[in-house]
Order: sequence, then C-alpha cells, then structure tokens
Amino acid sequence: MTDLLKIEWIKLRKYIVFKLMAIFFAVGVVALNYIVYTVNKNIVNNVPGAGLVSFSPYDFKNTWQSTSYATGFILILPSLLLMLLFTNEYTYKTHRQNIIDGLSRRQFISVKIAMAFIFALVSTVLVFFTALGFGFASGTTFSFHGVVFVAYFFLKALSYNMVAVLFSVLIRRTGFATGVFFIYTGAENIISQLLNVLCIKIKREDGTDLGNIGDYLPMNASDSLLAFPDNPIKNLSKAIMPTDYTWIAFSLAILYLVVFYLWSRWKFLKADL
Amino acid sequence: MSVLSIDKLSKNYRSIKALDNVSFTVPSQTVFGILGPNGSGKTTLLGIIMDILKASSGSYNWNGQQSTNEVRKKIGTLLETPNFYHYMNAEDNLLIAARIKGRGEGDIEKVLRIVNLYERRKSKFSTYSLGMKQRLAIASTLLGDPDILVFDEPTNGLDPAGIAEIRELIKQLNRQGKTIIMASHILDEVEKVCTHVAIIQKGVMKTYGSVQDVLHPSGVQASKVQIEIAAADTDKLRTILQGMPGVESVTAAEQELLILCDESVSAEQVNKYCFEQGVILNKLQVKRKSLETRFLEITGKQSDR
Repeated sequence: MTDLLKIEWIKLRKYIVFKLMAIFFAVGVVALNYIVYTVNKNIVNNVPGAGLVSFSPYDFKNTWQSTSYATGFILILPSLLLMLLFTNEYTYKTHRQNIIDGLSRRQFISVKIAMAFIFALVSTVLVFFTALGFGFASGTTFSFHGVVFVAYFFLKALSYNMVAVLFSVLIRRTGFATGVFFIYTGAENIISQLLNVLCIKIKREDGTDLGNIGDYLPMNASDSLLAFPDNPIKNLSKAIMPTDYTWIAFSLAILYLVVFYLWSRWKFLKADL
Repeated sequence: MSVLSIDKLSKNYRSIKALDNVSFTVPSQTVFGILGPNGSGKTTLLGIIMDILKASSGSYNWNGQQSTNEVRKKIGTLLETPNFYHYMNAEDNLLIAARIKGRGEGDIEKVLRIVNLYERRKSKFSTYSLGMKQRLAIASTLLGDPDILVFDEPTNGLDPAGIAEIRELIKQLNRQGKTIIMASHILDEVEKVCTHVAIIQKGVMKTYGSVQDVLHPSGVQASKVQIEIAAADTDKLRTILQGMPGVESVTAAEQELLILCDESVSAEQVNKYCFEQGVILNKLQVKRKSLETRFLEITGKQSDR
C-alpha cells in the first residue's frame, strides 16, 4: 500500500487544484472558527442581558464540539477535491492506463479508498489542533471533555469522502458527479429537515417520541452526531424536540460507510472501465 | 510457443455482439497484426486481454499463464488513445507508469530519446500535439524493456516521418526478439510491418495466419497476376490484349486497362507483345495481390461502420 500511496502522491503534488484546495481548507477551518469565536466574544456577550444566555463555545468544555461542528460546514471541500482527483482519472482515462500498466483493479480502488481515509484523518488532525488553539485562546483550563466529538467529526469526514468515492465510481464524469453530489446533499438535507419537523409535530400532537428520523438518512446520520454545544437558548427548545438517539445515528453512520465501501469496490471490480 | 492464446472470446453490449467467439494464438517473436475496419472489435479485444473490459464469455492466457496484474507489468501497452495526466510533464507521467510496473524508472531518459521527446520532457502533457502524445504513449510502452508489446493504432496522429519512424521501431523491436501485437485499420501498415495477421470484422474472426498464408492462400485465385496497363489508343490496346495468350480478362479502369492473366505471363512479355503489335505502352505495372485485395475479398466491399 505504501508504494501505491507514493504513486498517488506523484499525481497530487503537481495538481494545482490540490494545492489551492488544501490551503483554502486549512485557512478556512481556522477562519470559520475564528469568526464564530469573535462573534460570540465581542457581539453576543455584549448584548444587554447577555448574562442570561452567557455561553462560550470555545471554552475547553465546548471547544472540541464547537470546532468539529463549525468545521463540518466546509467539509465538502476535501470530498470535492477527492472527487475531482478520482473523476480526473476517468476523464484522462488514466484509470485504464494504470490497470494496463499493471495495477490490479483491487489495488486501484483500494488506494482511492485509502485516500478518502487519509483526507478524513488530515481534516480531523486539523480540527484537533484548531480546537486546541481556540481552547487556549479562550483562557480556560485544558480538558478533553467532549473530545469524542472530534471522533464524530472523523466519521462525518469519512462519510462525505466515501460518498465522493462512490459517486465518482458510479458517475465518472467530473461535472456531472460534482453536480449530483451537491444536489444529493441538498436534497437529503431538505428531506431530513422535513422528516424532523414531522417528528416534532407527532410528538406534540400525540406524545409519541420517534426520535429525529431525518437523522437516519445516509449523509445526515454522521451529520447529526455533530451539533452546536448545548447552550441556554438551545435548552429552552429541548422540551418540544424529539430525543436524539445518538447510538442509532452512530450505528447507521457506520452501516452506511460499510455500504459505500462495498458498493464502490464491487462496482469498480466488475464494471467495464 | 505462443505468447497469447485466445479461446472463444465473446463480448456483448446488450444486443450488440462486439466480439463473437474469437479464437487465435499469437506465436512468439512475431509482429501480429489485428486488422479490421473501424468498429470491428479490435480495441474491445485488446481491452479484454488487458482487463479493462470484462468478457461475456471465453478465456485468454499469456505465455500459458492466467492473466494477472503481474503479467501486465511485463507487457508494454498502448490502447486506443494516449492516456496521461494532462497537468503533469512527460517525465512525471512516465515515472507513474514505471512505478506501477515496478521497473523501468532508469529507462525514462532512454525511452524519451527513442521517441524524440527528450527536449520536451519538462513540458506539460496538455501542451503536446497529437503526434507527440502518441509518441509519449509509445515511449511509455518501452519502459522496463518488455518482451511483449501491444499497440492499438500505433501510428495514429503521426506525420509521415513519424509514421515511418514508428514502423521502423516496431520492426527493430521485433528483430530484438520481441513479440508485437498490433491493431490497425490501415492495410498498408499491416502489410509493411506484420509477419502475421488476423482479420476481424463485426466482431467475427474472418481468417488468421502468416501474412504470406493469408495473402496467398492455395487455390486458383492465388496464381493470377494483375497488371495495370495503358497506351494512347486504349481501344486498340484492348483488342490486341484480348488476343494475347495467357490473358484471361481485360477490364477498363478509367484511362487504363486492368488485365488478369496467368502466373506465367510477365510484364516483359506483355511489353514485347504490345510493341510487336504496334502499340507503345505508357504505363505498365504489375500489381502484387495485395492485402487490400485480399481484405476486400474476405470482408466484402461495404464499409461496416
């Protein structure tokens, strides 16, 4: 696998889009969290009566969760990059050439999946250090309280990346694949929201607590593991919201990952390339 | 000893039979041409033996072994179009191929020189002309000095000098003892370069064997000689030729005549005969029974596209 990854690195290092996206994402992660950090510190806390809702998202007890949640909004960037890299192979027909030259189909798809894993890992490491930095910046005592959310972030990143791999294998054409990826993500979010609203309605009308069913969809399962930390305003609405069954969302997120993995592999191994 | 043996290979795309029960073997150290019109299934065939297409049925093996990626590492292949990363230069593209093959990294400079791309080795692939792309693809096949080379339309996009160079390269590789499998729709190319040929049409193997055997099958037709002939007075020429011993038929072709005659008739005899009959020839050309004639006999005259 090391040899295969070294070959992927040759493909990456000269790819200008990779460099741009990597820088943009790294800067983006810090910038995005900095915006949340300063808005909260300088604006929210200065509103008259803010004492009632006093809350610091980047205190060490919240920073792991806040950073993971906020970064989730630009997590589409690494998965888009992954998709570009993969569909480029189809565009240039280098997926064929790599196999003609002596990669097995299994090796080819395995290294792409490994890349999805590495991208998720690197994003997670970035989130870890960003959270650490803002934790210290907020002047609180170091703590790993809530660091599990960084692990959830990894799961979410991996889910996005594996969807990118799957869509690349199934659709092949760069423009079409990225288009479908955006539309699918948007559509799933809308459906998820509708389902969740329905769950609230059911709970209010006849007391049945179904949980948030919209969170059980393929991309929303890992999404739902990350939410903005509990705060006074959020707590006000808790009574009317259905219960978050984290273990169901977590199990489903793992299950979907397995499905994405097996589906992309199966398709690449048996298709005409 | 055969390098490649193909057994009843078929490939269907829904109702279309791209390959229908194709079987043949490629003897070692030959230049084996796969000849067929556009869309006849040549690239499909090569795609299957390179594992980028899945056969519907049938099997193949290389050197008697089942095909694996390890076997492919020792074969240099150019399939259909030059496939490279557009944003990378020639050197880096070849580095990827060499790394995949697990050999040939030290050959990069050498192969770039063979195809005259060394000076442009740092240029991005996307800046290359079609002919340069094709030459880079050929360079890539030479990495690691493989014993078997597979070329799909190797002279595609090349200028006349480039075509001659590549044909010479193929012959030279063959003289070094390498086996070359080459798909082409250009008859002239196959005739000039190949030792063996398989003719394929609409996915069906029509015939295969040595170029000699395919071109000159035993039988009556093979012993005929065709001569193109012309003189100022075509009518008189036709009359006297019809009377010449050994001439079987005389047909008009624009300003000239085409005669089909017995193998024993030579150009010299025809010239002498006509002169003695008072006709001075302004054209006299013996047409070897070419692959083209034979190809059309085998495949029919209609384009199959």
